Amino acid sequence: MPRIQLFITCLVDSFYPQTGEAVVNILRRLGVDVDFARDQTCCGQPPFSAGLHAEARPIAQHTIEVFEKTTGDIVMPSGSCAHMMKHNYLELFRDDPVWLTRAQALANRVFEFTEYLVDRLGVTDVGARWDGVLTYHPTCHALRGMRIDRQPRALLANVKGATIIDLPAAEDCCGFGGIFSVEHPELSAELLKRKISNLETSESPILVLIEAGCRMHIAGGLHRQKKQQRVVHIAEVLNST
Amino acid sequence: MTRRINALETLPDWRERRQRAHAVRAEVIKNLDSYLDQFTVKAQANGVIVHRAKDAAEAVKIVLEIAKDSPRSREDRKENKKEISVYQRESASKTLVAKSKSMVTEEVNLNHALEAEGIRVVETDLGEFIVQLRGEKPSHIITPALHLKRQDVGELFHDKLDIPYTEDIPTLTNTARKVLREVFLTADIGITGANFAIAEEGAICLVTNEGNGRMVTTLPPIHIALIGMERLVHNLDDLALMLSLLPRSATGQKLTSYTQIVHSPLNGQQRHFILLDNGRSRLRNSPLKESLYCIRCGSCLNACPVFREIGGHAYKSPYSGPIGSVISAGLFGSEFVPLAQASTLCGACKDACPVDIDLPKLLVRVRADESPVSSLHSSNQHGLSPLSTFSLWMYSRLARRRRLFTLAQKFAALTSPLLAPFSQWIRLPAFTGWGYSKDLPRFARKSFREKWEGMQVNTETGRHVHTNKLSDKEETLRSAQGDIDFVERFTQELTAVHGHVHHTEDPTRSIIQFLQSRNINRIQLEPNVLDEDMLTQADITFSREPDPAIRAGVTKAQCGVADTGSVLEADGEGKSLLASLLPEIHLAVLRTSQIYPSLENVIHLVKNTKSAVFITGPSATGDIESVHTIGVHGPGEVHAFLVDD
Repeated sequence: MPRIQLFITCLVDSFYPQTGEAVVNILRRLGVDVDFARDQTCCGQPPFSAGLHAEARPIAQHTIEVFEKTTGDIVMPSGSCAHMMKHNYLELFRDDPVWLTRAQALANRVFEFTEYLVDRLGVTDVGARWDGVLTYHPTCHALRGMRIDRQPRALLANVKGATIIDLPAAEDCCGFGGIFSVEHPELSAELLKRKISNLETSESPILVLIEAGCRMHIAGGLHRQKKQQRVVHIAEVLNST
Repeated sequence: MTRRINALETLPDWRERRQRAHAVRAEVIKNLDSYLDQFTVKAQANGVIVHRAKDAAEAVKIVLEIAKDSPRSREDRKENKKEISVYQRESASKTLVAKSKSMVTEEVNLNHALEAEGIRVVETDLGEFIVQLRGEKPSHIITPALHLKRQDVGELFHDKLDIPYTEDIPTLTNTARKVLREVFLTADIGITGANFAIAEEGAICLVTNEGNGRMVTTLPPIHIALIGMERLVHNLDDLALMLSLLPRSATGQKLTSYTQIVHSPLNGQQRHFILLDNGRSRLRNSPLKESLYCIRCGSCLNACPVFREIGGHAYKSPYSGPIGSVISAGLFGSEFVPLAQASTLCGACKDACPVDIDLPKLLVRVRADESPVSSLHSSNQHGLSPLSTFSLWMYSRLARRRRLFTLAQKFAALTSPLLAPFSQWIRLPAFTGWGYSKDLPRFARKSFREKWEGMQVNTETGRHVHTNKLSDKEETLRSAQGDIDFVERFTQELTAVHGHVHHTEDPTRSIIQFLQSRNINRIQLEPNVLDEDMLTQADITFSREPDPAIRAGVTKAQCGVADTGSVLEADGEGKSLLASLLPEIHLAVLRTSQIYPSLENVIHLVKNTKSAVFITGPSATGDIESVHTIGVHGPGEVHAFLVDD
């Protein structure tokens, strides 16, 4: 029976624990043992992307140390945190051979949740059922940073009762971009407006994604605009039976 | 965008080419000094005067010195001695510079410097011409007037060029053709940039559509090319690789209308190459080195959601978009560092880049104060607001200690209901940034880690689900081009870019018929192309020299390129490049045995020519509202007469 380390990510931990519960349920249903290293905090992406590398390094070092004490694949419900740990840690420690080696060892163990299900376990049907229409928004770091797209789509295609429809201009950024969304509120708002109007055009009541940050952003925009559409993490769809 | 992607799909191996192009650019930048030396020695041997400019001021100084030495300027000085009043001197007696679009000249602010010295500068690219008439700067490196509508151009031409107001793009384009034709014919100096400089040849390559680039490199007695020193490629093979990517990425074309390779000065012409550093060496020795791989196609601009929102002018740098946000800080100084924060790091730019530059990585490096000049004089080297900097500083202190982190999390969970007692959502004020357009969800009452404690005891007996491996459905999209012959392919491609193909056994007879059908009885003709006695019998006269009254030029193409529908014309014995440039109609005679599959097969034919050009369809522009309009400065019609042999 495979045994994995769950990296919950700071946003799921603090805002969307239901995503984490769904991930654990699905993995256990598939016979995977889930471990949770309780000293984990955050991957360090917020200061890294902002350019504050001196502030990001200690967080990354903390995360590396936490997972060095464990074994097995590290699975997380976020494409951008996976991208951070798999690619950006190597950038962050590119001038530090000791930490670079440790970061590389960690990177080899990192998987985004749908990537783990499809590519590692070979599962595309988790026995989920969702009666209704869904549309999928491929989030930027998952799509272009990690090349994760066919995995979540394959999983959704096997959800019984669900009709998956296309989101217009699906690959366009929602305008979140971490610190960008507060540094450039007007620009962020314009990109968000487009994403929401494309969601309306799709006529899907539910937007599915694999990222808590973009979820928070799009859902926050929908709420502000008093729209009825909802945003859910794919794990919550796959966990419903 | 879709046009560009379609154009890339015409290259079945484009991913592999992109990696090769990346490697080629990396190698050049690594060994730049030796390539610069090689280029300089070769160009000098070709009769070109080569200059090196450390910075913008030096580049401007070199151009001014060349201008002062130009024949017209010498006449001016004589006139001055005769004490002719400044007021009596019409602008016609000023030194006249005709410019083709060049971002490097924007970078050194050349126009301003020349005008300050009393030199008249005319931008001849349609988009640049429009922007110059409005007294503006270009807003996009490929389409400078991207920010304007046809109505703006109509009003502008009505005001400044004294024509009746019109919104008709072909009419507007034709007006520019007429006005600028005069400029080409009377200019003292032609100034261009260069898309590539080929070290092994000492030649430059210019990629254009309208024909103004050909005019200003061919007609004025002096041609100056200002070349960013990172534009080098090693040899013609590497150039062919770059040319397979650049136009496809920039405009969605397989080749632009004109792909010129300029070696030596033409007869009676002076040619200068100025190699410009202006911060490039600094960039090259910095963590932003990869940004020098850029071939200036503009595709990262088009792909960028932020650029699409704010347009080029907002960047306040000649180089905008993602690549501009990286190099502006490196080339021009720390005031451009905040540009790098205006990105969501969505990665669309990296995916669009034909040489696979990792732009998100470089943007983060600029944010991280790794650009070569940023730390010199800046209070905030990251381009962040003080509030963001402080918040992230605080956050970092929490996130590296689990106990503090969970304590803060608990505190937030307990206090956030106070901010929004009756809702799951908190409405923050606009100044926080987040509150400007979205609400914030409340922290979960119980975090995941708290819930985890309960989940551990939960021994769920999950059912195993049948697992089906994904059948590998990755289709390899190899386009089946194998059985189309080259002549057919050439015909398809040239027709697709609005050219015409005629099959003939007797080109003279066919061309006479064509000319008669158009009521043309005088042509510019290259020697040894047609049976000249037959022409005379048909009452068609011809000239070897250009003449504004002539409507058609007949040339013998060196070869054809099937992949792109191009013909190669080169300067040579008794041939000038003008027969294929000045008249409205270009008729090229081409033997079918001279049609080759792709550019790679024929690029070496440009060796030993003074100047050569691959012509791919008629002169064209997309500079007004991106509407494809045929016939700007070069011929509006291109006909290939294919002779079977």
